[in-house]
Amino acid sequence: MSILAVHPGTFYHIESLEAPRYAGMFDRLVRPEDLQDVRLEDFRVVLIPCRTPAERMIAHAAQLRAYLDQGGTVIATGENDWAHYLPAIRFTPQETNWWWWLTPGADLGVQITAPGHALFKRLTRDDLSWHMHGWFDVPDGAEVLAVNESGRPILYIDTVTTNGRMILTSLDPFYHHGSHFMPATTRFLDGFLGWMREDLDR
Amino acid sequence: MSVLFVNAHSGMTEALFDQAEAEGKLRRVRQRDLTAAHFAEASGLITTMYLDQVGFLQHGESIQALLGRGGRWIFSGHMLRPPIPSLGIYVPLADPRRSDFALTRLSEHPIFAGIDQKALELNRGVAGFYGRGHNPMPQDATAINGLGPQNLPIDWDWVRPDGGCIFSHAGNDFWHNGDDVALHQVLADRAVAWAAGDRDR
Repeated sequence: MSILAVHPGTFYHIESLEAPRYAGMFDRLVRPEDLQDVRLEDFRVVLIPCRTPAERMIAHAAQLRAYLDQGGTVIATGENDWAHYLPAIRFTPQETNWWWWLTPGADLGVQITAPGHALFKRLTRDDLSWHMHGWFDVPDGAEVLAVNESGRPILYIDTVTTNGRMILTSLDPFYHHGSHFMPATTRFLDGFLGWMREDLDR
Repeated sequence: MSVLFVNAHSGMTEALFDQAEAEGKLRRVRQRDLTAAHFAEASGLITTMYLDQVGFLQHGESIQALLGRGGRWIFSGHMLRPPIPSLGIYVPLADPRRSDFALTRLSEHPIFAGIDQKALELNRGVAGFYGRGHNPMPQDATAINGLGPQNLPIDWDWVRPDGGCIFSHAGNDFWHNGDDVALHQVLADRAVAWAAGDRDR
């Protein structure tokens, strides 16, 4: 038992978490309302996908903190109000330019800041480039993996706030992949979930 | 009686439906607060692409009862957890090209009366927002709008033999498509009217 994913139940969650492409990446799916019945300590990773309503997670904030403090790993992706249930999250939304790619030669501006990180053996800058939803003010000592066009963090790893590890991104791959919409989001999940399974589940 | 509109868990609201609610035609309830009584008091039902389909399964009997007494349900989204029998699982397009997103009116329908379906095909010149697949039609359903050269039934309605009617749209909520904002309001108003039974099939 190693990877637990929270399953909020919208069609894009069902497609992303249950369809054959990624179903094998998760050992168990749990409804947010059922989290209190799960021993998080039995899992190496707890994943919270895009657009998991905060109101369904707030009641579990203490449980998640206890899991982190005993060394667990929480991954949470974009379009979430993480600060309601995870510690030390400071997020600033930015206006999303949905149409940047219509301009020939345009560049969304994502930059990889830790090219030597194992994740980037599996992902390129293009695989992180679809939309921007905002950036994080990360704690001192956090490892920033990618930034937006202004150099602000959009993907980072925090091992300083708790005894565990939080991997946060404002990118929202589960929503778009699960909607059959953005090819880059599928490429992102191919690489990211492969890294999660092979590098974090150890 | 009014139309029951299921708001997503996130609490996100749809401004396009404010007027209908103000006029008592529509009642919005967050999904977490839904009870059998809400369905029993409704003349129709509207669910959106943000529906928690796993959670909605618990309301299957209430939906059947609503339909059984002649109610109407507008389902918008990819059907992956049918809460009642006879509904199939969403089929996405495989490796779609631009021509696969072409929309064609196949049958007239009160929600789309007088509206050129082509007006809903593009957002800022980009196709694919309206939908990228279809929810399979039950036997004897009527295809309203077709997708791509095969005219896959992206929109259909079905008069159920057991009573009631279901309108299915397999994509992003149809009242948000196209660049004409005024048309969005027309579609939202017509959705409410149709679900209420005020518009002829």
